[in-house]
Amino acid sequence: MSRYFLLLLLTSPFILLSILSALTKYKLGRSTKKHFVIQVVIWLLIFIGLASAESIYIWLFQHRLTQTEPLSLFDVIQITAIVMVFYIANRSRTKIETLEKRIQDLHQELSIRLSDKK
Amino acid sequence: MNTQKSTPKICIIIPAYNESAVIGSVIKSLMKELKKTKYSTSVVVVNDGSQDDTSIVARTCGVYVIDHILNSGAGAATATGLSYAEQNGFDVAATMDADGQHAAEDVIRGIDEILRRGDDLLIGSRLINKKGMSKAKIIGNKGLSVITYILFGIHSTDSQSGLRIFSRRALGSLRWKTNGYEFCSEMLWRAKQLNLRISEYPIETIYTDYSKSKGQNNWNGINIVKSLLKRRIAELMG
Repeated sequence: MSRYFLLLLLTSPFILLSILSALTKYKLGRSTKKHFVIQVVIWLLIFIGLASAESIYIWLFQHRLTQTEPLSLFDVIQITAIVMVFYIANRSRTKIETLEKRIQDLHQELSIRLSDKK
Repeated sequence: MNTQKSTPKICIIIPAYNESAVIGSVIKSLMKELKKTKYSTSVVVVNDGSQDDTSIVARTCGVYVIDHILNSGAGAATATGLSYAEQNGFDVAATMDADGQHAAEDVIRGIDEILRRGDDLLIGSRLINKKGMSKAKIIGNKGLSVITYILFGIHSTDSQSGLRIFSRRALGSLRWKTNGYEFCSEMLWRAKQLNLRISEYPIETIYTDYSKSKGQNNWNGINIVKSLLKRRIAELMG
């Protein structure tokens, strides 16, 4: 199996999950169409970049724009890890923001209600 | 408190943090001016977890005080005040600084203006008439207004002004995520997203040694820019 294909195979689930998550949020009315489109574009660009990695490398190498070795197995693991970390970081940030907002709302409501009792 | 029936219900919100030295005189001068108006008014001080006697001094002046359990920042204190105004069915809400830099007459003029014009968010701009403002403050405020324009596409001569007037529609819909001073710019952005009518009117700035020491300095502006950038990028990522 080509290492470039392996790279695509390993990273595709994260890209698909991210697009699916963006679609779910949009369909449930938790994000706007603009946000949905931006997220899909970002993840599709990453997918296109990974899918055309081999062609890009060959073109760069033929035009003497790079002297690096072709993709190694270590590179595949490393790139997959980067995509995975990006996916996890993005999800964690969203969750933290939601929690932060809930704590803020709770604090706000508590402050108002406790002031009513004074 | 000045109350009259069949007149617009107005709530004036004063977010305050460690302002015991001046909050009393700010409230007294505001109450004095409010007595001259035809509106049904309430003054609410949101004490943002002060360590001094801000809350006690404000209560002594006879206004309603909401005490934040934790110190949360100017943005959070303003949000609490506006939430209170919304929950209690006020028609218009105004926010003003607790350090005495805003004239009570300007607050009332802003309320008159928003009711006359039918805007949703009216900003009291200190930079239309820059009298009394130091060059450093002018540069800092203009710089933040330019950054607000670059990041959010909103033109405002004074994006950081604390004197703002809100319509009932704005009270019911306007929300923001930042808690610090950067909420001033974010609020304009959210108002634009909600297609609210935003406008400005000139206000006077009263700069005393105290208000100069309490206001934002230009170094804090860097933190505001960082936070706004982060918010803009985060918004792109969903």
